[in-house]
Amino acid sequence: MAQMIANAVREAGTNFVESLVAFLPNAITTLSIIVVGWLIAMLLRAVVRFALRSLRFNALAERQGLAALLKVADLPEADALLATIVFWLVWLGFFFSGIDVLGFTSLQGLVAGFAAFVPRLLVALVILVVGFIAANFAWRATLLASVNAHIPSPRLLSGAVRWLILILAGAMALEQIAVARTIVLTAFAIAFGALMLGIAIAFGIGGGGIARRILEHQFPEREGSGADEISHL
Amino acid sequence: MVQDSLLSDELLQHLMAVGQVDVLVGVPTLNNATTVGGVVRAAHQAFGRYFPRDRTVLINSDGGSEDGTPAVVRDCAVDDQDTFTVSHTLRTVHRITTPYHGVAGKGNALRQILAAADLTQARAVVVLDADVSSVTPEWVAALIRPLREQQFDYVTPIYPRHPLDGPLVTQMIRPLIDAVYGWRIREPLAGEFGCSQRFVTHCLEQDVWLGPLARYGIDLWVTGTAFAGGFRCCQTPLGPRRSAGHTGLSFQELFQQVVGAAFECLEEHAAFWVPRAAAEPLPMVGELPAAGEDAPAVDAGRLTQAFCTDIEQLQPVLRSILSADTLDSLNALAHQDCERLRYPDDLWVSTVYEFLVAHHRGVMRRDHITQALIPLYLGRTGSFLTQWADRSPAEVDAALESLGLQFERSKPWLVERWGEGQR
Repeated sequence: MAQMIANAVREAGTNFVESLVAFLPNAITTLSIIVVGWLIAMLLRAVVRFALRSLRFNALAERQGLAALLKVADLPEADALLATIVFWLVWLGFFFSGIDVLGFTSLQGLVAGFAAFVPRLLVALVILVVGFIAANFAWRATLLASVNAHIPSPRLLSGAVRWLILILAGAMALEQIAVARTIVLTAFAIAFGALMLGIAIAFGIGGGGIARRILEHQFPEREGSGADEISHL
Repeated sequence: MVQDSLLSDELLQHLMAVGQVDVLVGVPTLNNATTVGGVVRAAHQAFGRYFPRDRTVLINSDGGSEDGTPAVVRDCAVDDQDTFTVSHTLRTVHRITTPYHGVAGKGNALRQILAAADLTQARAVVVLDADVSSVTPEWVAALIRPLREQQFDYVTPIYPRHPLDGPLVTQMIRPLIDAVYGWRIREPLAGEFGCSQRFVTHCLEQDVWLGPLARYGIDLWVTGTAFAGGFRCCQTPLGPRRSAGHTGLSFQELFQQVVGAAFECLEEHAAFWVPRAAAEPLPMVGELPAAGEDAPAVDAGRLTQAFCTDIEQLQPVLRSILSADTLDSLNALAHQDCERLRYPDDLWVSTVYEFLVAHHRGVMRRDHITQALIPLYLGRTGSFLTQWADRSPAEVDAALESLGLQFERSKPWLVERWGEGQR
């Protein structure tokens, strides 16, 4: 009996050692990939940041209003943020490759999944950046045009234009990375429906007077400057 | 013969028939049928009265008028009795009307006229604005004489007018151009000018003709180029200028074009004006005309009211353009009694220079920068008109001179900030 137990323990020990011996090279390889990946990612972060600084990317971000938004959100400067994104993408790529080497059945396919996700993530980021630039441009253009044309409530109008574009860009980005598609769609439908319903109720059922007073307050009559009546040259 | 490609075969044939000329008068047109006849007549009368022995030609470069302008130019009779009784030209009267091709705008028309002047080796060139109904033969003579008798290269006009007239010129463009270029010129935006063959060649060699300045800022560019190129420039008095005002532009569009062109010109000629230290008066040929008596009737209160309302709305944009000190001062102004707004000279100068620096650094789209300046300009104009409407022209002139000096005194600040933009 004791002999049988000893044999079983010896066999288990032998199996463990054999498994460990078989696993160790993979573990070392994984660790090497992760460490080398980290070094490469660090190097790439430095290179990207240097290149962006040389191209005065922060000045561009400032011109487009991106810098102000990053500041409000307590995020690093535009060049540092972009370099950090590059770092994480590269390092996560190496990390998942390393994990794949271990051969765990449950973790297999991580690399393939990550590789499929990265392009979508990049496209989503591009959509966000372009959306932000477009929103900022449209905001400023609307504000300046409506101020100079003496249209009522220019800031309200231009702010609405900006948020509309930002929300649209955000929804498109979420759609691109396939995050909570149903929620995004439902949220849109609810928000849009609520807005339309609110307006319909305000103007339709009994609240016409209140709606008028609110609108008169929000959109007061603005007299023209009379600038067109002068010969400026 | 670089200019060959600018001139159509038909125009080349006409010019070869004309041969070399002494005086060339160019008239760029676009839908000026109501006024161009008077301009053409004045030019031909000038040929007869003042240059009867010279070889002359009038060239009309038309941008595709739909109101029959070229036909008016072609058929315009010069049977002015005065011309025949006083004197008439001893040479053939040449008159050419031709369409220009390419991008629409006065710049392209002017380029064609200058190319024709270069080809015909015109010794004196005069460009007249077809939109003006008060052109006389004496204008042409006045623009040519300094070129021929005193060897000036560029002659710019002075019109007699009330100092409160044309606030965009008097409040902004004139003092800015005077201070920055370092030449005190009365009418930097004049549509009429005279120039020498040397200046024509220089202009044609410049890389401006396909850009935005050629479309909407060529008059100012010509003036700036004459200064920056080191040409001998002078100004000469003409009669009152009455424009038919056929630009078809709203005030906002006009402001953007004029101020945008001024900022672009300063950008282009920075190498000339940055090291230039002091401003000096531009030589005058003739007597400075007396100021016009009729002050414009303007409701200045509406201008200042618009300033007070708009500056509040534009805060987020102005923060990117103006320094904190200037913006604080403007906000303080806007919170005072708008009917009695006083926009001081030094604050106005800081405003204009900071907008110019923002334009230079490209802190946002450049047309947005000029748009954001509109309410501030209206505030300054309203304030100045309110303050000086009841004063004599001499007093208003003194106030404008003081503003000009303020622009000149602050130029070192501009030069310093301009340099920072380069680094």
